[in-house]
Amino acid sequence: MAGFADLNLPQGPDKKSLQSLLETAAHLGYSTVALNHVIDFKEKKQEIVKPVCPSELFPSLPIVQGTSKRIKVLTRLTLVVSDPSHCNLLRSTSANIRLYDIIAVFPKTEKLFHIACTTLDVDLVCINVTEKLPFYFRRPPVNMAIDRGIFFELLYAPAIKDSTMRRYTISNAISLMQICKGKNIVISSAAERPLELRGPYDIANLGLLFGLSESEAKAAVSTNCRATILHGETRKSACGVVYTVKKPRKVEEEETTLPACKKAKTQA
Amino acid sequence: MSVPSLQRLRQVPRHLLVCEKGHARDARSRHAAHVRDHAYNCRVSFLIPECGMLPEVLKSTIADVGDYYLVRNLSVHELVAHEFIDAFVKKGSCYALTYNTKIDQDNTAALLPTGKLILSVDKDTYEELGLQGRPSQYSGKKAMRYIVTIDLTDSTFHPDSKKRNRVLWALKEKKPLEFDFLLAWYNTGAEGSTLMSYFSKKQIQALKPKITFSTLRDLQCPVLQSNELQGKPEESCSTEELFEWLGAVWNQVSLDNKSSSFLSTYCCPQPNMMVEKAFLCTITGFIIPEKIIQLLEQLCCYFGEPKLAYWLTLTVHGFADSPVSWRESEHGFHKGGENLYNFVIFRNLDYWLQLAVGTYDDCPP
Amino acid sequence: MARAEAAAATFERRVLRGAAEHQYLRVRLELPDGGARPSVAQLKQLVVSALRELHGEVGAALPVDILTYDAKTLSAILRVISSGLVKLWSALTLLGSYQNRRCAFRVLQTSPFLLALAGNSRELVLD
Repeated sequence: MAGFADLNLPQGPDKKSLQSLLETAAHLGYSTVALNHVIDFKEKKQEIVKPVCPSELFPSLPIVQGTSKRIKVLTRLTLVVSDPSHCNLLRSTSANIRLYDIIAVFPKTEKLFHIACTTLDVDLVCINVTEKLPFYFRRPPVNMAIDRGIFFELLYAPAIKDSTMRRYTISNAISLMQICKGKNIVISSAAERPLELRGPYDIANLGLLFGLSESEAKAAVSTNCRATILHGETRKSACGVVYTVKKPRKVEEEETTLPACKKAKTQA
Repeated sequence: MSVPSLQRLRQVPRHLLVCEKGHARDARSRHAAHVRDHAYNCRVSFLIPECGMLPEVLKSTIADVGDYYLVRNLSVHELVAHEFIDAFVKKGSCYALTYNTKIDQDNTAALLPTGKLILSVDKDTYEELGLQGRPSQYSGKKAMRYIVTIDLTDSTFHPDSKKRNRVLWALKEKKPLEFDFLLAWYNTGAEGSTLMSYFSKKQIQALKPKITFSTLRDLQCPVLQSNELQGKPEESCSTEELFEWLGAVWNQVSLDNKSSSFLSTYCCPQPNMMVEKAFLCTITGFIIPEKIIQLLEQLCCYFGEPKLAYWLTLTVHGFADSPVSWRESEHGFHKGGENLYNFVIFRNLDYWLQLAVGTYDDCPP
Repeated sequence: MARAEAAAATFERRVLRGAAEHQYLRVRLELPDGGARPSVAQLKQLVVSALRELHGEVGAALPVDILTYDAKTLSAILRVISSGLVKLWSALTLLGSYQNRRCAFRVLQTSPFLLALAGNSRELVLD
């Protein structure tokens, strides 16, 4: 079990609005958020800039509601890819890329979805929620992604803003669930304004609408986000850097039989 | 997906309500044991119909609920120190619960008056600690949370034992755990040091429970018959109806709706009677069972003299993020973390006891 | 669902499993500063329209009661039949506007026990 996270707060140019997003997220009980920097290769030449340093941007981060800890802010890069050549960047040894905590890819075609799931070194694959799916999900790439520890990201803010997008969000989510069986799902906001953010328990409930079970839905805003972040950490460290990995200790686990709920009983 | 989506949307989160009836003066009655077994309580409130002023005895019982303490950044190993065990755990009842930790997100610790220290920790912490425990009942097939229980009063847990040294080493060096703790200590008579002086080098605060009184006028109260838990049509209300009504009173819900109202169809259960006034009292803090038992006893004594009221209620709310509810039975937080109970004390000292828990809980004892 | 056994002496115990007829939600409506504040009737309409928008006429027909409403803080306690909790909650979550202005329903607590809403340790400040 881990704290709640929203891995997608769009990183706009306005510092003040970002600050109020962070405050609302902390108030709603998120203990971790990721500032998302999006690069769309369809638009003019894009260069990967260094991620902003959250502590420089916000000298004092808001305190998570009901705790004494400050919210943890990570950096994330999302590449919108519509052509296989766009992926080259990920294969290159671009130094700036490796500075981001999380790397996501938003594939626009089935072929690219396949590549993203099977070969690209990323942590998250974004699922389109704002239009009708341009392709069907197929089992082999989805299973491969799950095996590789990659997570699929669904967004909810578009569904709050627009009723057409709400339909696409729900229908695309359900299509995905039929293939991935509720595994490896992360739900994030992509909220541009505080009023588009929702609390973690709200999202866990919303997950049921997407076809997740209760525990899968809660995992989509907690443990799965944590696993995504860990995946990012190992990706960052994989390039020849010596990284100390915790040696998992062998712990003697005691199998205790769970006490069955006592039946109704009458005491003399 | 094993369950079709449509059905999933109609699912009701698991919850339990246990209702008992008995007699407060019955030697075999377990009502006090239920209070004693529910260690961590954040709010105690009672309601007395037809009462405008509290008798002095009750007033002084409330005033006597006593201080509790908040110690900031306390290492868990301090609770395992044998000085602490000898001074507090073995003398009287010592209660400790981590403050501002969320049982579904954070590591949590609690010390029960039985001397059991319970750690509810995530998988990483568990592996780093290297202490023996068991997977949480509520963390799914792939356990992400573990429960470690250490009996501080166990005979094998003496200062030089291997077991204790290992626990100390785990909590001091392997994985130091630090929390803000709520603490309370109850001992009968025996002199000794106080928590305040024991932790004087720490950031410790003595806190007083917050007490509020209020009086409600013209309150519709359900008619209850102590021997009819399920109620009788036209004659008395059921225990579930009473439980909802009580919720309505404590949340200031209007009771006199018409069932045809557009806004709300809730109304006071039938049959009911209007009482001219009712006395409400709420105590908020870290309230130990010993004090609740005293209060319960005084509330029973309230009926020692003839009173207009037919019954009164005493409600106790547990902590949503406590690792246990009753005794050592594991408690978790799914969507609400409910663990609460309510007494209805009747004029003849029959009682009803309602115990309610949410999704991640065993059946109350 | 209720189990009852014959009473021995006066002691009796009944265990009700998942028997709650209703679920309760404590919510707060968040509006941008300076916007018009809904009356209790408007709040009810807003809730029903949110249900209709997401779940259609069947959703709009779900019985929802507004048990309390404080127009100052825009806080309310809602009651819904148990099988409608997920629908009501998701409808509130996806509601994005009130009278063409942005809004958000903050769900502060949900429970099958109304009484539980009167003592939420997560909201108590004990220090």
